Amino acid sequence: MNNQLLPIVTVPEVATVVEIRDEIPEVKTFFFTFDRPEIEEAFRIRSGQFIMCTVFGAGEFAVSLPFSPENDRKHISVRKVGKVTAALHALEPGDKIGIRGPFGNGFPFEEIKGKNVVYVAGGIGLIPLRSSIVHVLQHRQEFGRVILVYGARSSRDLMYKESIREWKATSGFETYFTIDRPEPGWSGEVGFVNQLVARIDLPVEHTVAFVCGPPVMFNSVIKELKIKGIKEQNIYSTLERHMKCGIGKCQHCAIGRTLVCVDGPVYTYRQIKTLGEQI
Amino acid sequence: MSYERGLCNFCGTGCGHLLLVEDNRPRGVYPLPGHPLSRGRLCVRGWHIHELLQTPERITEPLVRDGNGFRQVSYQEALAFTAEKLRKFAGEEIAFLGSPRVSNEENYLFGKFARAVMKSNNLSLSSDAGLEESAEVLLAGCGWPAMTASLSGLREADFILVAGGDLTRQNPIIASEIHLARRAGAFVVTISPRKTQMAKLSRMHLRPEPGTAFYLLLGIARMMLDEGLVEREFVESRIENASEYMDYLLSLNIGEIFELTGVDSQEAATVARRLAEANSAYGFYTVGIQSLDRRTIAALFNLFLQAGKVGRNKGGICPVTGISNLLGSLDMGISPRFLPGYLPAEDESSWKKLEELWRTSLVPREGKSVASCLLDNPELKALVVVDHDEEIIRNTNRIKQLELVVYFGSYENAFSRLAHVIFPRTTYIEDDGTFTSSERRVQLSRKKVEPPAGVRPLRETLSSLAVLLGHNWKYPSPEEVMKEINRVIPWYSEITYRKLEDRAGIKWPVDELHPEGSDFLKLEELSGKLSFVVEHPGPSSELPDLTSGEKFHFKLVVGRSNYFWHQNSIMKRTFIPRREYNALLLLYPKGFVEVSEEDARALGLREKQQVKIISEKAEVTLAVRISPDILPGMLYIPYFFDEMIPEFLHRQVAGLEKSEEFFLPVNLEKVV
Amino acid sequence: MYWLEKNRVRELVEKLSREYAVFGPRYDEVSEEVIFDRLADPGQLNLQAPISYNPPKYILFPHYEEILKYTYDRKSKQVAIEKFSKIQPKALVGIRSCDLTGILCLDRFFLGQEFVDEFYLEHRKKLFLISSTCVRPFPQCFCVCTDSGPAAREGFDLDLTFTGEGYLVLAGSRKGQKLVDELKLEPAGKEASSLRKKIIGESISSFDKFALENKAWISRATNRLTTGFVKPEVWEYIGNQCFECGACSFVCPTCSCFNVEDVNRIPQTDRVRTWDSCSFEGYTKMAGDHNPRKPVEDRRNKRFFCKLSYSQSKKYLRPGCVGCGRCARVCPGDIGLPNVVTYIRREITGEEDR
Repeated sequence: MNNQLLPIVTVPEVATVVEIRDEIPEVKTFFFTFDRPEIEEAFRIRSGQFIMCTVFGAGEFAVSLPFSPENDRKHISVRKVGKVTAALHALEPGDKIGIRGPFGNGFPFEEIKGKNVVYVAGGIGLIPLRSSIVHVLQHRQEFGRVILVYGARSSRDLMYKESIREWKATSGFETYFTIDRPEPGWSGEVGFVNQLVARIDLPVEHTVAFVCGPPVMFNSVIKELKIKGIKEQNIYSTLERHMKCGIGKCQHCAIGRTLVCVDGPVYTYRQIKTLGEQI
Repeated sequence: MSYERGLCNFCGTGCGHLLLVEDNRPRGVYPLPGHPLSRGRLCVRGWHIHELLQTPERITEPLVRDGNGFRQVSYQEALAFTAEKLRKFAGEEIAFLGSPRVSNEENYLFGKFARAVMKSNNLSLSSDAGLEESAEVLLAGCGWPAMTASLSGLREADFILVAGGDLTRQNPIIASEIHLARRAGAFVVTISPRKTQMAKLSRMHLRPEPGTAFYLLLGIARMMLDEGLVEREFVESRIENASEYMDYLLSLNIGEIFELTGVDSQEAATVARRLAEANSAYGFYTVGIQSLDRRTIAALFNLFLQAGKVGRNKGGICPVTGISNLLGSLDMGISPRFLPGYLPAEDESSWKKLEELWRTSLVPREGKSVASCLLDNPELKALVVVDHDEEIIRNTNRIKQLELVVYFGSYENAFSRLAHVIFPRTTYIEDDGTFTSSERRVQLSRKKVEPPAGVRPLRETLSSLAVLLGHNWKYPSPEEVMKEINRVIPWYSEITYRKLEDRAGIKWPVDELHPEGSDFLKLEELSGKLSFVVEHPGPSSELPDLTSGEKFHFKLVVGRSNYFWHQNSIMKRTFIPRREYNALLLLYPKGFVEVSEEDARALGLREKQQVKIISEKAEVTLAVRISPDILPGMLYIPYFFDEMIPEFLHRQVAGLEKSEEFFLPVNLEKVV
Repeated sequence: MYWLEKNRVRELVEKLSREYAVFGPRYDEVSEEVIFDRLADPGQLNLQAPISYNPPKYILFPHYEEILKYTYDRKSKQVAIEKFSKIQPKALVGIRSCDLTGILCLDRFFLGQEFVDEFYLEHRKKLFLISSTCVRPFPQCFCVCTDSGPAAREGFDLDLTFTGEGYLVLAGSRKGQKLVDELKLEPAGKEASSLRKKIIGESISSFDKFALENKAWISRATNRLTTGFVKPEVWEYIGNQCFECGACSFVCPTCSCFNVEDVNRIPQTDRVRTWDSCSFEGYTKMAGDHNPRKPVEDRRNKRFFCKLSYSQSKKYLRPGCVGCGRCARVCPGDIGLPNVVTYIRREITGEEDR
């Protein structure tokens, strides 16, 4: 990221929403392009980073970036949870949004090269992991085993169905999908993600795990991974916090002595444990 | 950009603040050091009043209903339209809803408009929970309708009793004074079924079962009598119905009383002793947002009277108003029961007096509150409203049937949307005006910014209407209105803007005898005798059944909270107070019901689990919030504003919201 | 060091007001308290007044400030965004060393981290700072415990020390030196330095016993806070007394938390930032239904950690508390920082609560 244009710190850059896709109930994916060609060209990210997205007339919110640093369409996937995200959901293709960022540390990419990579996601927890998954698959030969374990309440709650179809067909990518209760026509696993993690064969040595999902799922998965022998410092997650500035000033995302927006949002489980707050 | 002295306009504490004004806009606020009551403190609401005061969501032009929407019109057109319509209605066909947030001057004119111009005595505030009752009890007992004490000496108090709603939420800075008094050694006792923050800050917390605070106070009074701690000489010489009252107390079955209330009689005895021993004792209760019922107020007054704590320096009875000018509104006669200055409306002579003062003919008539007009006055055809919250909106269907609704307001809300004509109104920093806080402190708030172009003060609009209706109203400034108030309301007779200019308020009575105001009610100045206010004399065998009955297992109580301390369209226009309210609502998007830890354990309830609350008439499904703050057997629904009130409460809420003494017998079932 | 006659202060202010909006301590007629405010007249300035009730923080970190404005026309899809920038140069005359230290803390925070806060920078670079040695500490003051007073050491353009007859003047910047030259101030002589030291020494000895006795306790409290040794019951005790008004943050010279909101003032929308406080329940609440920081004692804990812990000191080169004592004066719950230190001290010594 050796350019003067990034990150966009103060004044949001205008982008156009070019396509809107319904993902799962209450979650939509918004594909966008920047209006200024030089920004469109320069906008490079690391997996795990986030942006501050302005919905004009409504406000700004932090959202993690699900697209790969390379050869992937720019998009965000957002759940309707409050006033601002509801306003975003009301937009149509052609509407404008404002973007600042990218901010945050991102997942380590160079450090994990050569290792086995395990992704465990629950529900919309797949959103912040998608970028890394796609990036790793784009460099598949540089990694050991690559495994995704993904669970949701029901089949209609599974994010990124299109990507999932591709991933299932990708050789050298082991995928497991589970839903909470049996459904007609469902051929995958049934049960909670942690139960699935417990059942399947996972590498332990030279392995890093990325875990993302709701607090209950997160804690139970961590427990299973630790039982299997994966070390706390090799388990990564990304934290979500209420944010107002994205640049370490407003302090809303302060946890203990770190600020999620500049020191995070990616932390190892070992770090998370010492922060002294709930996930 | 500079700081200008002013006062907060949220609750009835009347805190002083410094408003930072730049380019005709308030840009910030800071507590005013040296204010005699708030002494440089503000609560979360006060710290964010500038957010409200610069909201762009203002009503800036007169609007007349046009189909489903509104049409912007000129003042001239709106006034002509309104006057034309108003001419058609007789006094009993129209009702007036005043606002406890507007100044004394505005309230005075509003009352005069109702009574002198429209010949109506249907005139009330809707946020008057307990205030009229409190005024009536105190007038009957000691001839003084408001706080008999001064809060300036509170920090030296020996004994403080707090009953009613949570003062730390309703009037945080007064609660802070009580907290500091406790830290300085005062014995503070809170009477509340809920473990409120006030209770946590008290030395003793008495938790009577919902609906039994009245009996608890009787029990304490009786124990004081039994232990020989009543000031007999004082009581018998000064109080006219002393023996009647004592006989009543003696007739009570004390054992039954404490069984009924669920309070340990030894703790009650301690309270009786501490109160009797105190040199300086204060009895607090809240009015306006949440209050006690009439007889409980009377019992509290009687208790302090028999202990000889009324009418002395450093102590007395302290009703605390929840809204900025609630007390002033009643002083100005926004009530069907009281003409300005607490002249009883039921006496013909009061009207005669007012006729002379106003030099116009009046029609003495029995009036009703707006709420009861809407409920059971089929004749009602028109309603005139000043800046009001949605509270009365539960009567939406009845209001929609009215031929005319006139709304004067600064901000649009659910009520204004029901109007036929809307007049914009200046906010309290866009015109001069006085406001009367809980402790009778009348403070002058000076104009600090110009109103948005074209927005006129209520005073001007009402005057124009009065003129169109054939009355010669001339009120070029609020100060002129105050000069008339001086003549009409004896307790305000010597209040001048000049006096108020350079001090943080002056406490009424301000009259010839007290040109510098009055700190507290002085016994020696009382013209009449003191009197116990016995609301329900009779043998204790009449103790009611206050269990929730065999059919129902829970007592449901309703309460309000700190940030949205009202059903408040005003808080919605701030950032931080709004967010703080939303913090809770987002956790429980459809409202919640609090269940005690004990009951939750017994019933196996989880946090946020859906449960059904079933009353005799209706049921509602809510999320559970397990609370360490309430008694087993009790359920608590805090509500903030209209959207949050479950439909079934609407029908019962009139009683529930007024007082924690009301409860609804209900059952609770898990939703499968 | 230079010498400024008492009666030349007016000249100094008048000179500044040609270029700057001048702020300083003035008395409020009714409350008879000191407010740090825009001076309508140089005669309002009172350099002998005790510490102002409000810190000058609001001048460079306003309570409510528009930072951006934009319009978006949904029909034509036209967007226009621009920064608000009409910040006028300001001179702060007579700020106490505690408040100056507060500004230096804000500088390190807003300017000295990974990102520079452009809006703060705008204000900051147009500031002229004149500090004055504090000779009238208040009972709640304890800057002597937090290494931030009673006299300024750095960060000022000019620094004044009142001797009774006039002021000893130190120039701390080129801007300051220029003003000294323009006023043609005479050197204050050889004794000036020791005179200043003596005045500071007298000031220190006039501090209330709380400040003098608690010097060691504040560092012990810091230690306990950092290592997490303060018992949960202490935080609960403190938390029960918190009225959640936010005042402690608002009056703190170093507290810098803010909130951001978009306000529609049709046709334009303003992006506004306003003061915020970590003592509020909604502060960490996320859209949806999750709040990682819930009980009020958690939030109290967080604030005092931020003010006193070592990590704070490491990041910003000093503790976050400058010892001005204002949080003690505005707190409805009487749990300003001095009392918190007292409670931690009681926990250590086992003294009884009053």
